[in-house]
Amino acid sequence: MSHGTLHRPRPVRAAERRTPAGPSRVRRHWTRRPNPLAGIGSAVWLAVVIVPIYTMISISLTSQDKALGNNALKPPTDPTLDNYNTVLHNGFPHFLLNTVIVAAAVVAIVLVLCLPLSYVAVRSRTFWSGSAFRLFLLGVAIPAQAVVVPLYLMIAKLNLYDSLVAVILPTAAFAMPVSVLILTGTLRDISEEMYEAMALDGASSTRMLFQLVIPMTKGGISTVVIYSALQAWNNFLFPLIFTQSDGPRVLTLGLFNYVSQFGVNIPALLASVVLSGIPIFAVYLVARRALVGGLMGVGGK
Amino acid sequence: MESYSRRWFLGAGATTLVSAAGLTACGSGSGSGGSGGTITAFVYGDDAVKVQAKAVSRFNASAAAKKAEGKVKLEKVPGSDYPAKLRTAMGSPNAPDVFFNWGGGSIKAYKEAGQLVDLTDTIKSDPVLKDGFLPSVLAAGALGGRNYGIPMRGMQPVILFYNKTLFAEHKLQPPTTWDHLLDINAKLKKANITPFALGGADIWPELMWLEYLVDRIGGPEVFDKIKNGDSSGWGDPAVLKAAETVKQLIDDGAFGKGFSSVAYTNGGAPAVFAKGKAAMHLMGSWEYSTQLGKFPDFAKKDLGWCAFPKYEGGAGDIRNVVGNPTNYWSVNARTSNKDAALAFLRDCASESYARDLVANGDIPTTSNAAKLLDASPNPGFAKFQYQMVQQAPAFTLSWDQAVDPSSSTPMLTEINKLFVGKSTPARFVAALKELK
Amino acid sequence: MSTAVTPGNGRRAGRPGKGVRAGRPHASWALPAVLFFTFFAVVPMALAFYLSFTKWNGLGDPQPAGLANWKKLLDDDRLTQSLTVTVLLTVVSWAFQTVVSLLLGVWAAGRQRNRAVLSAVFFVPFLLSSTAISLLFYALLDPNFGIIHRDTLGSTSGAFLAIVFVGGWQFIPFHTLIYQGGARQIPEVLYQAAAIDGAGRYRQFFSITLPQLRNTATTSGVLMIVGSLTYFETVLILTQGGPGTDTAILPYLMYEAGFKSYDFGYASAIASFLVVAATALSLLLVRLTGFGAMRSTREGM
Repeated sequence: MSHGTLHRPRPVRAAERRTPAGPSRVRRHWTRRPNPLAGIGSAVWLAVVIVPIYTMISISLTSQDKALGNNALKPPTDPTLDNYNTVLHNGFPHFLLNTVIVAAAVVAIVLVLCLPLSYVAVRSRTFWSGSAFRLFLLGVAIPAQAVVVPLYLMIAKLNLYDSLVAVILPTAAFAMPVSVLILTGTLRDISEEMYEAMALDGASSTRMLFQLVIPMTKGGISTVVIYSALQAWNNFLFPLIFTQSDGPRVLTLGLFNYVSQFGVNIPALLASVVLSGIPIFAVYLVARRALVGGLMGVGGK
Repeated sequence: MESYSRRWFLGAGATTLVSAAGLTACGSGSGSGGSGGTITAFVYGDDAVKVQAKAVSRFNASAAAKKAEGKVKLEKVPGSDYPAKLRTAMGSPNAPDVFFNWGGGSIKAYKEAGQLVDLTDTIKSDPVLKDGFLPSVLAAGALGGRNYGIPMRGMQPVILFYNKTLFAEHKLQPPTTWDHLLDINAKLKKANITPFALGGADIWPELMWLEYLVDRIGGPEVFDKIKNGDSSGWGDPAVLKAAETVKQLIDDGAFGKGFSSVAYTNGGAPAVFAKGKAAMHLMGSWEYSTQLGKFPDFAKKDLGWCAFPKYEGGAGDIRNVVGNPTNYWSVNARTSNKDAALAFLRDCASESYARDLVANGDIPTTSNAAKLLDASPNPGFAKFQYQMVQQAPAFTLSWDQAVDPSSSTPMLTEINKLFVGKSTPARFVAALKELK
Repeated sequence: MSTAVTPGNGRRAGRPGKGVRAGRPHASWALPAVLFFTFFAVVPMALAFYLSFTKWNGLGDPQPAGLANWKKLLDDDRLTQSLTVTVLLTVVSWAFQTVVSLLLGVWAAGRQRNRAVLSAVFFVPFLLSSTAISLLFYALLDPNFGIIHRDTLGSTSGAFLAIVFVGGWQFIPFHTLIYQGGARQIPEVLYQAAAIDGAGRYRQFFSITLPQLRNTATTSGVLMIVGSLTYFETVLILTQGGPGTDTAILPYLMYEAGFKSYDFGYASAIASFLVVAATALSLLLVRLTGFGAMRSTREGM
């Protein structure tokens, strides 16, 4: 996902909010009778989602000479895994590893930097903390693409060209505004009384950060983790411009390069697309609830 | 895959980041001079790269490499964005020492920035290089009479391919004149066959039509003038006439209806041609190896080739050729080991290098190529191609490589607009005249 | 914007001294984040502005060029076209994604088992990166391999709709999730009351569900608008701005000027324009969503 996000004012007050949240067991009124219109609509969308995915998998299992000019909707007559083999032997695991490194580094940088900032933005009332917060607020809608030329100049001058660091640092920077918004949003829900209670115990700001702020903003933190990991996962332009060799090539760029490498081999290209989806699909299967919950958080639960 | 050094993760200057937060130039990673060290060579990463890979291992094991105290590391840059990658790398501290290019406009900016080694004197004083290549090919890559490149791949003239079996079925002869071609088109369309395959999703196959038509109608001088930086050359009546001729072909359905969604690079256009849906295909000489790889039966039995037809009343010779004379290696002026770079380039003139090219189905541009062609996978096609280039009064470099990149992108856009009907021949000419 | 922060306004003057200080970290905690963001996001923006007054082809150093790039930008017909396409793409994508995600989200908010299963399937496209999805449709729209044997990308409307569809295919799962969350928060009593009044299913949808989802629609809409600035990969892979220049959105126009024509000065002028436009959009969105007001109302509740 590569969008930014903004919080909206919560429509419901804290007191009301306690009741409907969570998977309630109350059966909804509309479950009582079937809804034919909704049934048809969802079936149509199911087709829209499934047909491309099915075709992709089917073509990726077809040998190249058979794929040409065949009806793509027919199942492959004799499926082959050759295309997957081709992709796996063309650097795919290495590209995947790079993407994982980038994602982990981006998430770490964003958390380490944004947590204290959001803490300050919510709790401190000086002119400076306010200005800092506003700086990030302004950055929300600015697309990272806009600064790729000057960033390239900086990265070349800093001698970082063609390294993963060149991808990580700007990606993290552009994931920060939204992360700050999400974190400040959750931080505000910690009540004054809790801070005061800890203060009575003589806790320092640092201890409060670790013992109160972080535990209480778990939801926001997991949203930020998912959000910034998705930024890294989808990142395309920065790696395209800031890296060149095989070494620091990330998955998106690897896929893009397969177009020219497998230019005449659509089945292998689609096999690489399928493979790129498998790792995150696995994450999805294992942690569906956390992922979905975190994403709902991006939208402001 | 080869093993990766750690620098790809940290970047050459992770330390620089800490010490220099400013934008002061951190200097180039490589100093000039002739000290030893490994040099990097950027090459366009397609199938033909195996020839360069062999050359690199041969060189690295050679006495010449020992003498220059240097080895070559080959960096295969994925094709589609090679020019942009080269540009960004050349502007960074880790620029390649030696790099693949198309000569002409593709290296003009590097020359102007003082980033190229002038090879003119090196070639003159070295009989291996001086006599090793066809003079016309060496000259085609030159800028202002100075040489900056050594030919390193096969020649790639644009050829009119046709389906022999289809032609025989409909009692047709390959076209020699434009009217003849129109006549063939009419007959093919009656038989429900698209006359020409065209991969319009990549714009360069469309460009080939204009290149040949402008040559046949106005002669090679028309584009020569443009190439030398005079954009008023686009105002030549031959350009307008060529655009109108193309427009008629399109309106006439000579390329079928969906050509804008068909690409050459993903195999669409070659498939349309090989499956007999289209009878002819104007394409670079690599079409033969593409077909041989994808549809071997078609390549061996049905594939025929001929020169682009003559245009009645036109100024251009039917023997004139357009396309890429070849590709070149150029040397970065900031290389850390110029001796090794030059020694490596000499290998391109060797017979083993030429043999590798021939075995790959390419036609080397070396003077010794003629006698090697019998070893080619298809000697008949190889000889046709070699003679075509050898006898050509003029070899026009592909327009998109010949002009500066700043005008080649808008030029390709205008060509695409003409083909998809977003522009008219008159507007096309007007827009091109605006290019600087 | 000025409402975003209300620095120390003495509202807490009555509290005992200890409470005021509780968990209020020093503003310097924000410093690392601010410095990082400044260096990798703000400085590049300033640099883009500077570069827009220079002539630079990527080799050597930028040379001053005065207002030449800006004059060229204002005279360029392609800027007008590009701006139109960008706005049109944003609006059409917004409409398409909103309608589909709203319906799907409300549908998925039901607790039936089949809906839960289908929702999980509907989510799958979001797992693929934009690059992977663009490549998938690049293959599927090919008249020779794909499932649509027509010249889709060769016509202006075809190419445009393809981008809208591909963007929707990727992001609708995400927005569905937001609407699903929103729909589940609508108090059940509203429906019960309406049912007692004899309102049917569709009546309930229009007079309860839709109005209640107003805030959700704002959040989701903001995300869509900001997100559509990032359809760059889709355009690059699917249409390369074609046919002709008909789908060249602003970021693509900038990419083309910079990394195809190597006119980095002109590319920076487009980038500066993009930054200014996006900042204005940020401000507008912050206003519209009322985020700025939140700090003062929520704090100390």
